[in-house]
Amino acid sequence: MSEANLDAERQRIAALPFDKALAEFKQVVEKLEAGNLALEESIALFEQGVLLQRRCEKMLSDAELRFQRLVEQAGGKLRAVDLSLGDAAEE
Amino acid sequence: MREPVRPSEAPAASLPIMSVGELTGLIKSTLRLAPRLREVWVEGEVGQVSISAAGHCYFTLKDERAQLRCVIFRDDRIMMPFEARTGLRLVAQGSIDVFEPQGAYQLYVRSLQPSGFGDLALRFEALKAKLQQEGLFESQRKRPLPAVPLNIGVVTSLSGAVLHDIRRVVARRWPLARVLVSACQVQGQGAERTIVAALRRVSRWTDEETGRATDVVILARGGGSLEDLWPFNDEAVVRAVAAHPCPIVVGVGHETDVTLAEFAADVRAATPSVAAELIVPSRADELARVAQLAQRLNGATARALADRRQGLTTEARALESRHPQAQITADRERVGVLLDRAARVLVRRLEIGRAALTRAAEALPALVVGRIGVGRAEFARQSAALSALSPYATLERGYSIVRGPDGVVLREAKAVKPGDPLNVRLQRGELGARVESVRDSGS
Repeated sequence: MSEANLDAERQRIAALPFDKALAEFKQVVEKLEAGNLALEESIALFEQGVLLQRRCEKMLSDAELRFQRLVEQAGGKLRAVDLSLGDAAEE
Repeated sequence: MREPVRPSEAPAASLPIMSVGELTGLIKSTLRLAPRLREVWVEGEVGQVSISAAGHCYFTLKDERAQLRCVIFRDDRIMMPFEARTGLRLVAQGSIDVFEPQGAYQLYVRSLQPSGFGDLALRFEALKAKLQQEGLFESQRKRPLPAVPLNIGVVTSLSGAVLHDIRRVVARRWPLARVLVSACQVQGQGAERTIVAALRRVSRWTDEETGRATDVVILARGGGSLEDLWPFNDEAVVRAVAAHPCPIVVGVGHETDVTLAEFAADVRAATPSVAAELIVPSRADELARVAQLAQRLNGATARALADRRQGLTTEARALESRHPQAQITADRERVGVLLDRAARVLVRRLEIGRAALTRAAEALPALVVGRIGVGRAEFARQSAALSALSPYATLERGYSIVRGPDGVVLREAKAVKPGDPLNVRLQRGELGARVESVRDSGS
């Protein structure tokens, strides 16, 4: 991977949701394990794998639960608003 | 004819006078023998209720015309899902008997049901049969739950413990989730309409940025009487559950309560907390899974590089006989650069990996730390093996690479003469140098 490609890849991976990142990580590992790759390809996959691993680990360690309530606005549009369970007692 | 003599029937003895105990005993046995009083179902409104120190429950059941004393013995009472409360209309089942010390006849209650129970039970069975025939409860309709749900819909009441329970479980096990609560009423008049509307609302939602819908939905309610749970047997609710676009877990009431909505769900949970436990993975397990994949990544890469290196060495030897020196050097360079890059990435990764693992380890229970510790040792071992493959790894052991004025790596002293500029590459950084003298070893 060229530095520019690596940068683009880094950005793409940094935005992946956990399930997608984990699935891709698994694919990368399986592809590498299957072998028969050009050296350049192995290294590119390895670099991608490292980025995916970091993405997964970061999400797992930094995660903070989002707990929201769906409210219907005029016109039926839905909005998710943070719900503290203190509020809930009023209803 | 003489008057017949009936000496045994003295006037005092001829009046049928009984003791209170005898009369009460007679009433008792008469009532007990009356077939229609042996097993009765009676409906009325609950008056006063009291519970004795021994745990028996005494209450009256009344209507406009009369009232009936009732008793539920402790052992029966604690088994009942339902309690007599003043003002409730209920159907009591039991037998009539007399309590002689108080001269009172009472209903000895064996079971209690809310009024209209017979009706509900019939409707439940009829609807169940109908929907079953339509195939709504078939096991092949059931969808698997997603392995790592990120958007979780929760349909329940905003008041009550259920929402707290679900939040507690998800926050502990799987804080990566985003929980979207779609509120509804879970009991009382019109509850079924609000449940259907809440299910629809949650199915209409998509993430503002990614456009993703919910991965899974929980429909939940805490325990209650048969009547309280009734909205979950409503036909429209059951159909809405069966038709929901994503997998749905229904947890209503306690372990023993079963509602039709649960039959239609993809997964039935015994209680709301169990529903939450079922749908979310644990963060610790996922961290361990990522660490395991990372190990496999390192192992596979190390093998790929080792194979390549071996292949290239053989290739290079074969080439040496046919290719000009420049070509061979270029090939070597290419291999060197690639291997070096891999080694650099690995070293970087090792540092990052260590930091990440240390961070993760701090946040994790001791059990998981043990597993990660193993992963860390494996990391270090594999990275060391990989680094050894790079030509530049030699630099770490204190060797340097010296290039002559034309940038070619120097192998013999006589390739340069005093005054020539040299480039010396060390493990960290480079030196610009100049040749002072040349001592050719001659060999």
